[in-house]
Amino acid sequence: MLDWLNQNGALAPFLHGVVEGTAITIAASVAAFAIGIVLGVVLLLARLSPYSPVRGAVMLWVSAIRGTPALIHMLIAYYVVPALLGISVSPIAAGIGALACNTSAYIVEILRGALGTLSGGQVAAARALGMRRRQIWRYVLLPQVFYRAIPPLTSELTILLKASSLMSIIAVPELATVARNATLQSDLPLQVFTVTAAVYFIILFCISAVSRLCERRVSRMLPNAH
Amino acid sequence: MPIDLSIVGESIPVLLKGLRITALVSLIGIPLGMLIGTLAAYAAQSRTPLRPIALGYVELVRNIPFLILVYLSFFGLPKIGVPASAMTVAIGCTAFYTGGYFCEILRAALQSVPRGQSSAALSLGMTYWQTQRHIVVPQLFGFLIPPATSLIIMMFKDTAIFSVMSLPEMTYQSNLLTANTFAYLEVLGTTALIYWLCSVLMASIGRRLETAARRSTHQT
Repeated sequence: MLDWLNQNGALAPFLHGVVEGTAITIAASVAAFAIGIVLGVVLLLARLSPYSPVRGAVMLWVSAIRGTPALIHMLIAYYVVPALLGISVSPIAAGIGALACNTSAYIVEILRGALGTLSGGQVAAARALGMRRRQIWRYVLLPQVFYRAIPPLTSELTILLKASSLMSIIAVPELATVARNATLQSDLPLQVFTVTAAVYFIILFCISAVSRLCERRVSRMLPNAH
Repeated sequence: MPIDLSIVGESIPVLLKGLRITALVSLIGIPLGMLIGTLAAYAAQSRTPLRPIALGYVELVRNIPFLILVYLSFFGLPKIGVPASAMTVAIGCTAFYTGGYFCEILRAALQSVPRGQSSAALSLGMTYWQTQRHIVVPQLFGFLIPPATSLIIMMFKDTAIFSVMSLPEMTYQSNLLTANTFAYLEVLGTTALIYWLCSVLMASIGRRLETAARRSTHQT
């Protein structure tokens, strides 16, 4: 197995590059996920706004993102957005931006689903206690929404990590790019992509395992859903 | 930055030519994947050595990026003596990936039909296949249609990835157009719009089927 992987040292540079590529993959995914969550909360509040144009804009955003390929988002973030704004954008910033926008549309739906499981009585009770709208969101609703949304949010994180490989299209030096370059240099595609697939598998498998653990904890903390 | 409508007009026929390849890959790959997924779901329910194989297959699909699977097949298969054209890899990868997700969806749907119903049907003297045919499968559609619609849309969008192996589908055509014209806004915007219209159409068909399925199960 090791001989098959090593091929007389031909893959040594790749195996070193994998570490750096993995670090960029993880860092970019985590950054995009964090931005996506913030965007998701903003979109959720806008989605519940009393003004119908605001609600309509959020629904349009969600539908447009969900109806188009992530690869196209990547290309639009890299080529179209900088041209429209008249700025220059590094590949990694464009990649993170595209992933964050992509995930925000899914996160807002996840949060909305979690919000739907909360009973309306809590808001009424909080209001009766004299809390303002902002306080109700901050102290009553959002903490519970996030607890309930942990399982779908972690599965969204795994989807985002898988989609992060698309950043190779705009030459962000993450794992998929490292692999593609190594194939061009060594002509050992089977070895290179098997190792790459294994690295992704391990990362994603760990996330799922942690997610299952969190889910069990949270279900113990929140014994009744209503 | 003004939008050049003449470029939009010129790119539409080229993109529609690509859409035909996108549709062809989806129309063959996705149903094939659903067939594989159905077999995998029944294998995962069985108590045979096929069970761990089916579960392992689902884990592979869930934990490996589609792009890496495409690269591995397209560059790797010829190395082990399997001739792989872009089209066969595209259909094969679509089917492989759809299968893993459909297996999960079908497993969840099978568990959603209350077990008491099959027991009741069996105790009324129905055979196993009669129970499946008249009790389980008709209800399955109600549970299957929403997630299956999302899966179909997801896989349809993922066919954009096949542009990396120069399969002349819609995204590849848009890449060619932008390389020639540099009109990124017009070309990418039009491409996104076509993908979006197709997805919205599929979602609305899905909703209709869902309502129809719900109505038919309530009537029987």
